Amino acid sequence: MMIQIKDLHKSFGQLHVLRGVSLNVEEGEVVVIIGASGSGKSTLLRCINFLEESDSGEIFVEGNHVHHTERDINMVRREVGMVFQHFNLFPHMTVLENVIEGPTQVKKMPRKKAASFAYQLLEKVGLSDKATAYPASLSGGQKQRVAIARALAMEPKIMLFDEPTSALDPELVGEVLLVMEELAREGMTMIVVTHEMWFAREAADRVIFMDEGVFLESGTPERMFTEPAEERTKEFLSKILASPNT
Amino acid sequence: MDFTKLSEFVPYFLPAAWMTLKITTLGILIGLFIGFPMAFGRLSTRKWLSLPSKGYIALIRGTPLLLQLFVVYYGLVRLVALAPLPSAALALGVHNGAYIAEIIRGAIQSINRGQMEAARSLGMTHMQAMSRVIIPQAMLRALPPLGNQFIIALKDSSLASTVTVRELVLTSRQLASSNYMMMEMLAIAAVFYLILTGLLTLLVNHWETKMSVSRA
Repeated sequence: MMIQIKDLHKSFGQLHVLRGVSLNVEEGEVVVIIGASGSGKSTLLRCINFLEESDSGEIFVEGNHVHHTERDINMVRREVGMVFQHFNLFPHMTVLENVIEGPTQVKKMPRKKAASFAYQLLEKVGLSDKATAYPASLSGGQKQRVAIARALAMEPKIMLFDEPTSALDPELVGEVLLVMEELAREGMTMIVVTHEMWFAREAADRVIFMDEGVFLESGTPERMFTEPAEERTKEFLSKILASPNT
Repeated sequence: MDFTKLSEFVPYFLPAAWMTLKITTLGILIGLFIGFPMAFGRLSTRKWLSLPSKGYIALIRGTPLLLQLFVVYYGLVRLVALAPLPSAALALGVHNGAYIAEIIRGAIQSINRGQMEAARSLGMTHMQAMSRVIIPQAMLRALPPLGNQFIIALKDSSLASTVTVRELVLTSRQLASSNYMMMEMLAIAAVFYLILTGLLTLLVNHWETKMSVSRA
């Protein structure tokens, strides 16, 4: 078991965002979480690498219980890569510097070694020619691909994607999804929050519908998209699939 | 005004301008030295760190510089008798420290939260994220207001004239009291201030372009 979440709860003041979420993800599994905004998808991802502190519940990474200590949390973050909706590239660093920042600072990898690995990763996301560019000169799709390379540079065991294409112009969504799909095919364990049903259909092993802080139903993409059991899931899917972006 | 005659007085102003520059530089350096830790103290979630910073900033920003200068020069006499120059530099430094702290704090807070999250998600410690990601970006944003503050400090150094530091203002008044050309002496002092603030502006602009040129 790569990651195990047991009965996670999280509130923001009066707002009970996660109401007891449990999730097991196997090695190499690609889990896509769908659901309306405000259903708790992003909060769940952010709790997994402790960008938010859950109120109760337990998280295990490769069987190890992660405690709320600085040391445990930093260990988890090394193993868990995160890709954000708004990229969050470091604007004062070049593309290459962005990618080697983690390995050189956190793993204390020699700069040269980190750079040659970074070039491989940039090659993989199709941006090796942008190594010396600054993020400001890139398109949204390119920025997100750099962000993926930056996360991969830490050689994570799991990748979390928090609506990675929601901030992109429609014509730039494809290039990011293709990189993610390739990553999935290579066997990366992934948890993806997205509204891109195409990606869910192509790459997901399991689709989970989240509603009001709980997992309402889950299943293979075929079953979820063709015969959803819950009324709420049907309602959500019909809205999403009717929108012109998918 | 007889300008050829006025130029005779310029040599008297040169040491005064140098004195103004010295107080200002010392004041800014002390201000930066105090301002940085105060900014971090102010941002800390630990009360024992943030409360002293908040108190210091409130005290300094809520009282006039002239009063602070008198406190250092006349008030501290019973503890330690400081000469005029160190008194003025210290008062100016402590005064500017509060403003610099607020500038740095504002710049750090203006950096998008996502930057810290991205750095932490790579496994960086809070300290690493601050020094590698947040502060370099914050400094760029802090430069214009810092430059502004430095110019204010340069002009505020004129208050040192009240504690017998022979900087530009005191020098012009002393010369005028013997040659009865008050307006002319003040005008010369003004020209020196304009030159100094102009140079300081150029310097700050130079830093700004140098720091931002790489990420255009």
